[in-house]
Amino acid sequence: MKRFLSLVLIASVASAAACRDAGKTTSEFEEKGRPEKILTIGMSQCNLGEPWRVQMNQDIRTEADLHPEIRVIFKDAQNDSLRQRSHIEEYVSAGVDAIIVSPKEAAPLTPPIAAAYERGIPVIVLDRRVLGDRYTCFIGADNKSIGRAAGEWIVGRLGGKGRVVELKGLMTSTPGQDRHTGFREGIRGSEIEIVFEADMKWLEPDARKEMESALARFDRIDLVYAHNDPGARGAYLAARAANREKSMIFVGIDALPYEGQAYVRQGILEASFEYPTGGKEAVLAVLDILKGRSVDKEIVLPSRVFTTKNIDAGGEWITSEGDTLEQDR
Amino acid sequence: MTIHLRSSAVRALIALIFVLALGALFNAEGAFFKWDTHRDMLRHISVFGILACGLTLVIITAGIDLSVGSLLGFTAVLFALLSLRLELSAWLAVPACLAAGALCGCVSGGLIAKFRIQPFIATLAMMVFARGMAKSISGGQKITTAILRPDGTYHYADVPGVFAFLNSKILGQNIAVVTLIFLLCILVCWIILSRLRWGRYIYAVGGNEEAARLSGVPVAATKILAYGLSGFFCAVAGLCQAAQELQGDPETGISYELTAIAIVVIGGTNLMGGRGGIGLTFIGAMTIGYLEKILSINAVGEAGRLMLTGAIIVGAVLFQKYRK
Repeated sequence: MKRFLSLVLIASVASAAACRDAGKTTSEFEEKGRPEKILTIGMSQCNLGEPWRVQMNQDIRTEADLHPEIRVIFKDAQNDSLRQRSHIEEYVSAGVDAIIVSPKEAAPLTPPIAAAYERGIPVIVLDRRVLGDRYTCFIGADNKSIGRAAGEWIVGRLGGKGRVVELKGLMTSTPGQDRHTGFREGIRGSEIEIVFEADMKWLEPDARKEMESALARFDRIDLVYAHNDPGARGAYLAARAANREKSMIFVGIDALPYEGQAYVRQGILEASFEYPTGGKEAVLAVLDILKGRSVDKEIVLPSRVFTTKNIDAGGEWITSEGDTLEQDR
Repeated sequence: MTIHLRSSAVRALIALIFVLALGALFNAEGAFFKWDTHRDMLRHISVFGILACGLTLVIITAGIDLSVGSLLGFTAVLFALLSLRLELSAWLAVPACLAAGALCGCVSGGLIAKFRIQPFIATLAMMVFARGMAKSISGGQKITTAILRPDGTYHYADVPGVFAFLNSKILGQNIAVVTLIFLLCILVCWIILSRLRWGRYIYAVGGNEEAARLSGVPVAATKILAYGLSGFFCAVAGLCQAAQELQGDPETGISYELTAIAIVVIGGTNLMGGRGGIGLTFIGAMTIGYLEKILSINAVGEAGRLMLTGAIIVGAVLFQKYRK
């Protein structure tokens, strides 16, 4: 009798538990397979003229495809701040659930981003900053510390002395300025001599032209540091045309998978320093926010260096970057 | 007209000699006196010079072609796509690109001649449209020899022979192939303008369109021909650009139209049409080329370069006017 009772008890408890479990499973199934509401994210890219920004959109798309509950709308501001401002306003009136924006300029885009933020829409600012703190989260890498890491790597590679050509990006742009000052900090104290520097405006044909001039002037050049990978490749093509590519080393920045990383793999560049896009991190931050989790106000992306030695192992993280970053600000 | 041409040529030459004198003065520790410097200058200016060839024909008809930089970009991407991705033989890829360029030029010409859209507007539209086509066929990314395999790794295709040939130097490494192509384009334009009936038509249309029409010149056909040839030369430049970059970059050639226009104007071809010549454009190309080279070997900063280039363009054009 006792035994029978206990059996009944166990059975009823088990079935109750089973019922609860069953209920839970169906509701969970509904959430995953057939989301009640698809969340819409509006993404505004300042221009799609640069391969790096095409890659950023691609990174966002790749990550978003892994999450069926979100949908991303992409807009391209074609390098026009006011057009980008309209994008933000359009997203707000369309009632999107979150906005990702990679702003062209700080001043014109601060008010619309602040307005969206104050309406309660989470705004993730990618790569370039806006003024003040009326946004949800900023994600970006630090050009200055990447430039410094490149400088330190070059000092190590050349054994502390050598003749270097610096091919600069547009020096009116902050990435150009930061990659320059960071680099100069990185080589400070060494016997590295910058024999030639020129602004190649991020463009490969211009880099080739400037490098031809450097080659005409100097019989010995040990290394070329270019502010982006196409610039370094342009310099390589100039040196190769003069049969001098084997007597010098080429270093670039950005390390896009099909650009800088491919050049390293081909042996055109000896090293390329990654400037991460943050596309994936932006989508993950949006998901966290929409699920009610808190995210840091500022996320600084770590960076990797890809060299001919470590490219097959997936590059190497640049260390101590975070510490130096904090000291800078 | 011959007297005018001769005197224009003399004035254009004086501007060139002035720039060369600057080079001799600021020779960057003797770098200006090395042949390599001159060979590299000729290589660099060739693409701009080829664009300026087509632009000269258009400007003589009193038109303008703003689409040359974009058409260069479009044909460069198309060439890379056909040769690097589809692995077509050069014998197919090169004519296909030249035809595509000429067709785009003819479309601009048709809009101008048949629909009476102003050249500035029609070619502005083509400039935007062609850039869009370049981005569309490339998917917004550079077409390179790195080909993505399904497993995520890259395979590096060999550079096709035609790329290597166009990017090489011949005659004992003393002259770039693209420079010879530029000289060939100059020769073709010279034959068109001074030896063919169509050349006379081009001058006639630019000089006085109404008078030309009344004298039986096929005005519409002449204009379509001029813009079509301009598109053709853009494609030639596009092939050279892709070969030199060893890739098809949808962003290449942005603002090249401005340098090409500067070359034509510094040479002394009149923007009002009817006057000028291809020899002047050649001198203009040398002037701009040497100017850029001298600024580059002396590592002059970007700000200084822009101001000096602007000042020298104004100076050269004023000089042309003053002596007239």
